[in-house]
Amino acid sequence: MKKILWSFAAFTLLSGGLFGADPAASASGGPISEIAGQFGVNGHTLIVQMLNFGLVGAALYFLAVKPVAKTLDERQQKIADGLQYAEEMKTQLAEAERERAEKIKEAAQEAQRILTEAREQSKEMIEKKTQEAAAQAEAILRKASEATELERQKMLSDVRQEVARLVVATTSTVLTTELSDADKKTFSDAAARELAGSVN
Amino acid sequence: MTRDKKVLSLAKRLVEMSREGGIVTEAGVSEVLAGIKKIKPRRELLLLKTYLYFIRKAVAEQTAVVATPGALGKDTLAAIETQFSALYGRTIHAVIEENPSLIAGVRIRIGDDVYDASVAGRLKRLAESVR
Repeated sequence: MKKILWSFAAFTLLSGGLFGADPAASASGGPISEIAGQFGVNGHTLIVQMLNFGLVGAALYFLAVKPVAKTLDERQQKIADGLQYAEEMKTQLAEAERERAEKIKEAAQEAQRILTEAREQSKEMIEKKTQEAAAQAEAILRKASEATELERQKMLSDVRQEVARLVVATTSTVLTTELSDADKKTFSDAAARELAGSVN
Repeated sequence: MTRDKKVLSLAKRLVEMSREGGIVTEAGVSEVLAGIKKIKPRRELLLLKTYLYFIRKAVAEQTAVVATPGALGKDTLAAIETQFSALYGRTIHAVIEENPSLIAGVRIRIGDDVYDASVAGRLKRLAESVR
């Protein structure tokens, strides 16, 4: 816009130079004056018109063109700001996208690490539990074996005692019925002498 | 059994007074009892109970109770008295106590000591050894 205004002003000045700068030349009948005369150009009128045009142009410039230009500049600035903001937003979005991707990648790596650790821990726990179960099974088997052995020993002892009791009872009964009084006396005398002899 | 030291001491002295030749005799005991009855000491009943306890113990220690299911020969009893008198260092008098449950053999008790040579005892020890 400013370029247009400056072009107009330059044209005006050039025009003034062409047609109003040398009225004497025009009166003297130079080629330019002749041409201006042929076209009906009056130098004084032209100057006044140029001044009038300059005043109108200045008024237009300061009252209309300049505010419009200011508004346009502001709008241009706003657009530029908007574009810059959009560019920044785009950059920030790209940065956010990059950070998001990075965080997703880190999260995936962390998840993978946790998963690996969990697998290792679960594997260790399975091995530990397996060993514990094996130890418990072994202990149970050992206790069962010991209990069986104890039970067997107890049964053997019970059988021995029962057999001994039966043998003693049978022997007592047989000896009581079979031994005569003379036999008993003979045995008692021998036992008493043996006992008396053994104490010294 | 009392814990009165005076009564215990007096009872033991009375038991010693009841011995004749180291043996508690009926005459000695009767003489001591007559003396107690005559003197009438303090706590007479307690003294008599304690004296009875020690007399029973002394009689048991000087007597070999020979349990047997039947009779024993006199020589056997004499041998028992001789051997156990020599063992204990005091005169031991043997008495027979009939016990058919012994089946055969003898079981001699002197005080708290028991010597078993009976068939029943041997069978019992046999049964116990099997356990």
